[in-house]
Amino acid sequence: MNPFWSNIFRGTDSEDSLAYFLGTVPIFRKLNRRDLAFLETMVHVRNYQSDEIVFEEGDIGSGMYAIRTGQVLIYNHDEHGHEVEVAVLESGDFFGEVALTVSRPRLAAARTTEQTVLVGLFRSDMLEAVRKHPSIASKILLGLTRVISDRLHQSNLRMQELLRQQPSVKEQSTS
Amino acid sequence: MTPGNAFSRPQLLLLFVVLTAAIASGIAIFSSASTITAMLRTATDGLFLPILISLIVMFLLDPMVQFFEGEKISRTASIFIVYALIFSISLLILLLIGPPNWKGMVQALKADFPRYISRALEYLNSLLAVAQQHLPFIKNYDIAERIREWAQATFELVLMQTPKSAMRIGSLFLLVPLFSFFFLRDSRRIMRGLISLTPNRYFEMALDIYDHVSWQLAHFIRGRILEALIIGIVVWLGLSLTDIRYAPILGIIAGVTNLLPYIGPIIGMIPGLVIALVDLGMGGQFWWIFCVYLLIAQIILDNFILIPILISRVSNLHPLLVILAIVMGGKLYGVLGMIIGVPIASIINIIILEIRQYRRAFNPQNRIFINREELF
Repeated sequence: MNPFWSNIFRGTDSEDSLAYFLGTVPIFRKLNRRDLAFLETMVHVRNYQSDEIVFEEGDIGSGMYAIRTGQVLIYNHDEHGHEVEVAVLESGDFFGEVALTVSRPRLAAARTTEQTVLVGLFRSDMLEAVRKHPSIASKILLGLTRVISDRLHQSNLRMQELLRQQPSVKEQSTS
Repeated sequence: MTPGNAFSRPQLLLLFVVLTAAIASGIAIFSSASTITAMLRTATDGLFLPILISLIVMFLLDPMVQFFEGEKISRTASIFIVYALIFSISLLILLLIGPPNWKGMVQALKADFPRYISRALEYLNSLLAVAQQHLPFIKNYDIAERIREWAQATFELVLMQTPKSAMRIGSLFLLVPLFSFFFLRDSRRIMRGLISLTPNRYFEMALDIYDHVSWQLAHFIRGRILEALIIGIVVWLGLSLTDIRYAPILGIIAGVTNLLPYIGPIIGMIPGLVIALVDLGMGGQFWWIFCVYLLIAQIILDNFILIPILISRVSNLHPLLVILAIVMGGKLYGVLGMIIGVPIASIINIIILEIRQYRRAFNPQNRIFINREELF
């Protein structure tokens, strides 16, 4: 095909577009192409250098991030102030999603380990979308609920397992 | 040369050359900077007012645009719908009521004004005569004559400026809809572009603060304009019940001056009371007009109904700041500056308050919640 025409008729959902990337994030998986095009206008693309802090433990969170390229380290501080690694997230992962609906202090800190491009979705934009485009916003919120419910389910199962292993803890908590 | 002198001759020469060069470049930078600011000022001279008014129009129309905007209707289309609605409604009102006879009213006012002034001064003089009996030293000051001169000069200035400002208003009718269209359509994109300039570490904070400030600002501006509109209409209607002339003009004056807190309502009251005193005398109608201005418009409507509903107490300014804003606004932009000075001061006040509140609540350095026990 003539490069001139192929340029004009190139689809917007080519694999390197932002909308395509957003469609691969689990929270936004149920959104169709038009919803993703709208989501593209809601998010903020932020470029980070290596070893840059995204947020600290105890910061008031205002939104979630998805990793487009790069790597992010999630860590806590123990009593002596040493870093305790919680997880290493790669491209396509997301973090901080709890802060999307309520402003709560972050439970862990996040830091980039290499040059990273993050896509942020923040509460103020989310609230605006709820007012203006309720159907898209409800799809996003349903996706968020699905992810959080899954996690809650898993942690409940794990807690039950732990309680079964250590009956003494159960006695302490009930007494 | 004394041995204690630390500098040798070449060093002194070098120092001299360096100092001269520093002073010369300083003067060059200063003069070029002042040229650039002068150029900027000339370039943006007539644009301040249209941009300000279009921003206000944007804040007023935004709720309507949001009402129409949705899944099916894009923002641009909804702006066009709102524009078309406003245009057709104002056309309908003009057709139904007919254009108000502004020209005749201004002509009549021009003829009547000296009469009002002289009658008011007569009244003032009789008051002064009483005062002079008790306080003889006042005699040295010719207060009445001063007021007459000042009033004449002001009125002439207003009349002279009218044709000029009519041209300016004509250009406003062209520029304001255009500017406010683009502000309505692109303000979100512009502000997102500006916020995205903040460093990564402070980005979330900047976004949150912007969200709070813009919400407060929109409410404040909308509230103030609506308040002025309602007060103006109520004063107009209240005055129309009496035989007073120029009720529409007096209503507009009351509405516009109501934008100034504390001082504005008193200034807005004076012309109405003077006209009432001269034309109608100290009768029942005068007291009714006084009641309309003070009791109905200011105390009942403004204090008990409008301000609690429309404007939050947070954005109230200290009286001293109000006076400072009026004086400074007057120095910069004359009468217009006096009117818009206070709202601009309130806007700055809102921004500072929001940032301070945010820093107090969400200070990243302040790790109150580091202890998990406290959190849950």
